[in-house]
Amino acid sequence: MAKGMFVDTSVCIGCKACQVACKEWNGLQGEPAHFRNDPVSMRPVAVNFTGNSYDNTGALGATDWRHVRFIERFSEDRSRARWYFSSDSCKHCGDAGCLNACPTGAIIRTGLGNVTVQQDVCIGCKYCIPSCPFGVISFSEGTGTVHKCTLCNDRIHNGLGTACAKACPTNSIRYGDVADLRRAANARLERLKSLGYGQANIYGYDEAGGLNVFYLFLEPPAVYGQPERPVVPQRRLPGASAATIAGAVAVGVAALVCFRERGQAEGKDEEVDK
Amino acid sequence: MNPEVHAPGWEWYYVAMYFFVGGVSAGAYVIASLAELFGGEKHREVSRTGYFIAFPLILLAPPLLIADLGRPERFWHLMLYARSGFPSFNIQSPLSVGSWALLVYGVMALLSFLDNMVEEGKVRNAPFARFYDRRPRKVYAVVGSAAGFFVAGYTGVVLDVTARPLWAATDPLVGALFVASSASTGAAAIFLTMAAYKTLPKLHRAAFERFDRFVMILELALALAVVLIAGKYAAPLLRGINATMFWGGAVLAGTIVPLAANWFAGRSAPGDRISDNIVVLMAVLVLLGGALLRISLVQAGQV
Repeated sequence: MAKGMFVDTSVCIGCKACQVACKEWNGLQGEPAHFRNDPVSMRPVAVNFTGNSYDNTGALGATDWRHVRFIERFSEDRSRARWYFSSDSCKHCGDAGCLNACPTGAIIRTGLGNVTVQQDVCIGCKYCIPSCPFGVISFSEGTGTVHKCTLCNDRIHNGLGTACAKACPTNSIRYGDVADLRRAANARLERLKSLGYGQANIYGYDEAGGLNVFYLFLEPPAVYGQPERPVVPQRRLPGASAATIAGAVAVGVAALVCFRERGQAEGKDEEVDK
Repeated sequence: MNPEVHAPGWEWYYVAMYFFVGGVSAGAYVIASLAELFGGEKHREVSRTGYFIAFPLILLAPPLLIADLGRPERFWHLMLYARSGFPSFNIQSPLSVGSWALLVYGVMALLSFLDNMVEEGKVRNAPFARFYDRRPRKVYAVVGSAAGFFVAGYTGVVLDVTARPLWAATDPLVGALFVASSASTGAAAIFLTMAAYKTLPKLHRAAFERFDRFVMILELALALAVVLIAGKYAAPLLRGINATMFWGGAVLAGTIVPLAANWFAGRSAPGDRISDNIVVLMAVLVLLGGALLRISLVQAGQV
């Protein structure tokens, strides 16, 4: 029975409790301080601000397995504004690009459907990093390996939910069986549509083989920084291989034509240069 | 395509240089083996030169690859699954299949290398020499050229089969581009080696140059096609240092100038001293262009 999370961004308040809970449970390093004392003036100066609303990590990373996005939307004349919040993490794709790309078997899917990195197996080749269509998995110079959300692998295999879902004060992040969560998501989508949110949509039913961590957005996914049509890179492998083989055949045929033993008549211009 | 997809942070002096050195070695081996299989004794000098440079060059590949790993001491996990000790193989990962192809290719390159040494009497007492037989060398050549084509091309597939915008946008052509570039740089390496050892007079110039011309035209066409199909995602290849490396190095120095020289050389008298020096210079340019092609594509995809 696949476990997953349903992230209902319509009730997210951007409190970042999920970011904190994730770091607490998984023992991840905290963010660098936002102020330090300037050595000359001895006054505090601001550092490590993203400059992008209240976003404090900017992206997912090796020690940032949760990232609350702050999306400021203004109308053309800036008379109306809407502030969206969306807590992003690894989606534990049904067809996971990172897992497909891993040459060592370090990235595995457990019986509960979550995708995790076995830290003792990973060699740090970094090929999974560009293979994730969502920009999730990240390299750590400290360990020389890659890291990402495990769906709280230790918790869920012991009957607990994920730390972020546990900490979420508005039930924006819900943990459970994917089938149950999908039913809840469909009901919530119905409700929002009836309230007039015509653009509301569920992100993650079909993308990348079905996402075990899926989202309800009030506007198109691109507004929330998610790719509209994520392509699992390995689905393009047959085409890329065929084109490469065609190139090899072309070179091989050129060699056959140029190097083959020719008849005596043609042999004349092939004389060894003296 | 999603601009938030992270770059792997591969260092050009490890990964792109491996792409280049592996390509030159594989190109030289493929030319050597195909010249032997199709041309027999007539192109013997091309074959022996190619075999002699292919193996030493591929020895550089593992150090370059291992140096870029986050945990270099675990490189063997590519071959054996660390939790069970059984062989590790992932058909969907060009890196996994490529590691095995590199091993097969390396063994074949070594066998062909030793075979040449024995045939020329440079190795006499090794066990290999006692059982020397000319027949298996054709087997090495067939298996080795197939693995060599793989080593030459899979590095392009590695780039194409990712979600990084530029690399994904150039899908599916970079593999074929790297095959063509491996052939042209392999030919240039063979030519330079023959020039250095003064064995050029034994080269069948016309056939060799015809092959060289074909692969360089293919390389040029594919390099232009890669930029065209990338469309707006080709922007990193159109400005800054990557543009200089790609257009000035890979396209101009690597293909257009040598093609022009090749065309003019075809019209000058054979064995001309000046023409020989120019061809040597062109071979150096082709190698430089091949290296800059790999570096510019690896770097532009990570901007």
